[in-house]
Amino acid sequence: MNARKLGRFVGQNLRRNRRSFVFAGIGIVVGISSFVFFIGLGSGVQRVVSTEIFPMEANRIQVVPRMVQFDDASGGRVIDEAALAEFKRIPGVAAVYPRMKLAVPSTMAMVGSRIAPEEIERISRMPGVKPEWLVAVRDFNSWLEIMADGIDPRLVKNDALFGKFEDPPAGQPIPILLSKRLVELYNSSFSRSRNLPPVNDILIPYMPALPWTVNDSFVSEAQVHGDKVHTHVRLVGTSHYALLGGITMPLDTVRKLNRSLRGERAAGLYDLAVLEAVSADRLTAIQQSVRAMGFDIDLSQKRMAESIGFAVTLVIMGFTLISLVMVGIAAVNIAHTFFMLISERRREIGLLRAVGATRRDVRAMVLGEAALVGGFGGAVGVAAGVAACLLADVLAVRLLPEFPFKPDHFFSYPWWMFVGGVGAAIVFCVAGAFAPASRAAGLDPASTLSGR
Amino acid sequence: MPLASPIVRLTDIRRQYGRGGGATLALQDIKLEIAEGAFVKVVGTSGSGKTTLLNVIGGLDTGYSGTAVVDGLDLRSMNDRALSRFRNQTVGFVFQHFHLLDHLDALQNVTLASFFAGREEADPLRRAEEVLVRVGLKDKLHSVPGQLSGGQKQRVAVARALFNRPRLILADEPTGNLDTRTSGQIIGLFELLNDEDGITLIAVTHEDHLFRRATAAVRLEDGRVVEAGPA
Repeated sequence: MNARKLGRFVGQNLRRNRRSFVFAGIGIVVGISSFVFFIGLGSGVQRVVSTEIFPMEANRIQVVPRMVQFDDASGGRVIDEAALAEFKRIPGVAAVYPRMKLAVPSTMAMVGSRIAPEEIERISRMPGVKPEWLVAVRDFNSWLEIMADGIDPRLVKNDALFGKFEDPPAGQPIPILLSKRLVELYNSSFSRSRNLPPVNDILIPYMPALPWTVNDSFVSEAQVHGDKVHTHVRLVGTSHYALLGGITMPLDTVRKLNRSLRGERAAGLYDLAVLEAVSADRLTAIQQSVRAMGFDIDLSQKRMAESIGFAVTLVIMGFTLISLVMVGIAAVNIAHTFFMLISERRREIGLLRAVGATRRDVRAMVLGEAALVGGFGGAVGVAAGVAACLLADVLAVRLLPEFPFKPDHFFSYPWWMFVGGVGAAIVFCVAGAFAPASRAAGLDPASTLSGR
Repeated sequence: MPLASPIVRLTDIRRQYGRGGGATLALQDIKLEIAEGAFVKVVGTSGSGKTTLLNVIGGLDTGYSGTAVVDGLDLRSMNDRALSRFRNQTVGFVFQHFHLLDHLDALQNVTLASFFAGREEADPLRRAEEVLVRVGLKDKLHSVPGQLSGGQKQRVAVARALFNRPRLILADEPTGNLDTRTSGQIIGLFELLNDEDGITLIAVTHEDHLFRRATAAVRLEDGRVVEAGPA
């Protein structure tokens, strides 16, 4: 019997036994919808971890000087212009983005009463501004010793959305970027508890320039040599490449400050370089070359993401396993239903054998029915699961309180989840129907036709 | 005297159900030849082995010892696929209880064999209509079994048996569920198929008297052939 004929036959049988199959398929629908829900949630959480909390583009690596060095023979090197030139020559490297630390301490005195009236007026024009924000800003008093670094503007060209990210002319505020993680923590806890305006894409353009003193320290005056440099900084965006506990500015600005305050050598040493490969599959070879040159790869972001991702995967796998157990139990129900139907259809099977059906045809018919039940049940289960995800997403976004990295959507819908949901339903149904199908195929036509 | 080219040749057929003390011997020492084109009635009391004999000839029962050659094929040496093909192409079955599928109409019931046919019927529905017209059910093509009388159901069963142009029709108590008048009509139909199409007919029956135009008769008693010859 060919597939077309089998399909017609199976379709006829499903139609007449639809009530039995609907009841048998309920378990499949529930199990698969749970499967989809947990996979969707797990994928959503993984997405947040890998793109929001610990992001790292698939085709980039961060190169750092070797941290542990036993002797000169180990090949440990600093990242200087010569090293950058070597990185660029590694086959497969498309671009090199260096990062330089500010070699001197710096401080930021944020005193609300010192903010110029025109800056306060600027804040008052913020969309959705609350009166208590203005009060809190005027009353704000904070003295920070702050770290700073300079980064290649090409690396963050998509992050500096509210101003040019380049070394400014003299007297102009220095454009800075803040870490997305730092901003998230500030927005979700600090700003709320102190009635301060949040830092977001709508409000950043209204933020005032803040005073910044370079070559200054609240902690240790011993580190300060020479004159202090008083200037201002203005926030122009947030970036995953910005310093977590500090401010990030254009590389040329930091290079200039280091040169003037610490000399030429400080202006030519980098603490990190981001290497961009032409494609992700070249990264392994690039990493090997970098290590051979005496440098290390900073995998801390990746490892953190992997650790959290692993923990999330473990929990989600537990729930997914439970949902698959549900589908397994449903498959037992499917088996029971098919045993019952085959018992009712003994004479019919005998007749089919009499008119030419082989044992294989009979088995294929039963398994075909099971596959269709699984397919329908799986499709309905996937649809129900996605509906549950959408509903839960809306409720979670609306009802859950703000917390760091609270996403706009808690769920993701990878394509394999749909295929896997329907596929698992089919596999479990066919597995459940295998024993009944074998029994049907083994029926003796002579005895079934005579009613024995 | 052996027939020159019998369509059925049974040699030393023995069929036993069960084992040990509870075993039942359904057929024993059966030697039988049936000529092509014959109309044979198989008679005997209940439990004499008539249906078992028919199942052996039709390839539905292979649990016997001895040799059953039908249309030149040694049935016991065939695998499931070949035997199924034999049942599909060479034999047509008609049963006492009709065995029609209730959810299918007459046309669909008749085309059932086309699902498993090795050779494709160019237009199965046209062929089904043709055989249904032949058995006198031109107006019942789309009736489901629940809308048909007993005689009409048996006609659909006969049409189903004819669908793949079999050389041999095996009928097991084909009139057992019918009244005398309807039985006569069904037997008349068999006679027509035998006369006009040359189809070999083997019919198991209790109602010996109804099959007056059978060309041969086989009488079974306790699983043995006690009489075989012209009717």
